[in-house]
Amino acid sequence: MKSPIIKVRDLKAGYGETVILEEITFDIHPGEILVVVGGSGCGKSTLLRHLVGLQPPLSGSISYWGRDITRMEEDELGRLLHRVGLSFQGGALFNSMTVGENVALPLEEYGIGDREQRRILARMKLNLVGLGDQGRRYPEELSGGMKKRVGFARAIAADPEVVFFDEPSAGLDPVIGAGLDQVILELRRLMDLTMVVVTHELYSIRTVADRILMLDGGKIIFIGTLEEAESSDHPRVRQFFLRQPDRGIGNRE
Amino acid sequence: MTNSVRLESGGSVIVPIRKPLTDELGRTLLRDVGEMISRGNREIRIDLAGLEELDSPGCAWLIRAVRAGKAAGAEVKLVGAAGRPAELLELMRPNFEPLPPPSPRPGFLERMGDRGLTVWEEFRQALGLVVDALYWSFIAPLEGKGVRWKGLLDEIQAMGSSAIGIVCLINFLLGLVIAMLSAAQLRLFGMEILVASGVVIGFARELAAVMTGIVVSARTGAAVTAELATMKVSEEIDALKGMGLSVSRFLVAPKILAILVSMPILTILGFLSGVAGGFALGIFSLGFTFERWWWQTHQAVSMGDISQGLVKSVFFALIIVLVGCHNGLRVRGGASEVGKATTRAVVMDIFLIIVADMVFATIFYYTT
Ligand SMILES: Nc1ncnc2c1ncn2[C@@H]1O[C@H](COP(=O)(O)OP(=O)(O)OP(=O)(O)O)[C@@H](O)[C@H]1O
Ligand SMILES: [Mg+2]
Repeated sequence: MKSPIIKVRDLKAGYGETVILEEITFDIHPGEILVVVGGSGCGKSTLLRHLVGLQPPLSGSISYWGRDITRMEEDELGRLLHRVGLSFQGGALFNSMTVGENVALPLEEYGIGDREQRRILARMKLNLVGLGDQGRRYPEELSGGMKKRVGFARAIAADPEVVFFDEPSAGLDPVIGAGLDQVILELRRLMDLTMVVVTHELYSIRTVADRILMLDGGKIIFIGTLEEAESSDHPRVRQFFLRQPDRGIGNRE
Repeated sequence: MTNSVRLESGGSVIVPIRKPLTDELGRTLLRDVGEMISRGNREIRIDLAGLEELDSPGCAWLIRAVRAGKAAGAEVKLVGAAGRPAELLELMRPNFEPLPPPSPRPGFLERMGDRGLTVWEEFRQALGLVVDALYWSFIAPLEGKGVRWKGLLDEIQAMGSSAIGIVCLINFLLGLVIAMLSAAQLRLFGMEILVASGVVIGFARELAAVMTGIVVSARTGAAVTAELATMKVSEEIDALKGMGLSVSRFLVAPKILAILVSMPILTILGFLSGVAGGFALGIFSLGFTFERWWWQTHQAVSMGDISQGLVKSVFFALIIVLVGCHNGLRVRGGASEVGKATTRAVVMDIFLIIVADMVFATIFYYTT
């Protein structure tokens, strides 16, 4: 196996005084699809924010291709992030630009291609998420699920090597959600993309996951393949994959 | 390479590609295809058998070549692709269709008509807001539908107390400036004491209310618009409405009541500060005694002058909050719209304040 793209070592993360995650150590290998799961509010989005350097960790290190991003200068991190895509939980589109301009923005900023080239590339990515004909509309004219798909298209616009998706299929109808799963698989197969996907959908997990990382109580409680997860005897993992209901949401501990 | 072109029978051309399709090669390909078409070739085949890898920019070049052919009435075909490039092309197939042309711009008359409609529409919205807001501010409390006192006190704090400093400072400085300007003129007649009368009349009737109105519209008017616009954009307004709550009651009425309390008080403080500016010049620079200047000030002004200023300030207050709320609530879209709405609100505030001031000046001129 090739050496990992991203190495996370003993990461401790949180907001100010509150620690959300600790003792987080894992690797992400080239070409793999790592699915991050865990209860709502357990810190999945927080983990992604740290992985792309939006927030400095309380301690620990995160390295990409052997370079620690927690010690990096801002412009160096910026250049590194050109090779990384990120789609936010809520889409995070720029409302003053059309959908097409949103998707073409990273291309323009990274100096890729001429105008026509960028237009075509943006439309290619929009077509992948089934919105090829929506390029001229504004985000406010789209539904929540459509915005999310545009965010997905923007994340892959500049052909990044690693992409982070925060709940790409939450809130989408099952057909489109499954379509996105297919897009994720195609991207990996045709472009060797490495992906980290946060999702709650068991169906998606079964379709795309090479490995699963499960967070609970601020720690990684499981990392491994789907088969390993299904045969795990950790109660939390069993609960998630066998869908045993919790007696009253919130009675966690 | 695209320059090793092979001619086939029947006028069709084959362009083999054997190297990775970089931007440079893509450009050459597009140019060559264009040239071949202009030389009269009606069928061009791009042979992709030698292509091992294809990325999205490369794919975009092929799409452009095909489209360029279609646009010129020739046929550009992609042949021989295998493996991953073939699959990528298959995935990208929908992109080979050209985009539909953008919808034509509406003509002049239509645009003017639309504009008229939007102005009318905005006027109706504003009218609805005014009626609703005045109902919830004045009539509903009398009918026993409660005012939100907590919100009201916070608003008074934000609109009134925290503006005292800047309002007083600006009026004081303006008082000083006006005193200096008029002193220079009146000195010619040896009647510098009249500066005291001029300053107090000016501030009582006009300047305190207008200056305070402008300061408050820049502070509070802008803040009101930005707050409501942000709430609108982040669907908080919709959430209120969805709970069956009245936006006018929750957001607009407390602001109206708060500014109706704050503005007259600020205007009186502004009036006192402006007069103090006159005092400062009269005593420290023109050399009058406090008593002399005070007497002159006192006998020049009447309660009527002061109430003129106060009446105006009440109307300015209503203008500021209603314009602010109106502009905030009609925002659609995102963050940049919030900025535009705020600018629009402040400009509208100042314009309407001056217009209202002129109306008042006319009324007072003909009635007193
Ligand atoms: N800006 C913030 N300041 C303080 N605490 C925060 C902040 N953002 C998130 N948190 C806290 O961090 C914890 C993890 O939040 P996070 O958004 O990472 O959850 P999540 O796993 O992505 O949940 P979900 O599945 O609902 O999206 C939560 O308890 C939340 O209260
Ligand atoms: Mg989240």
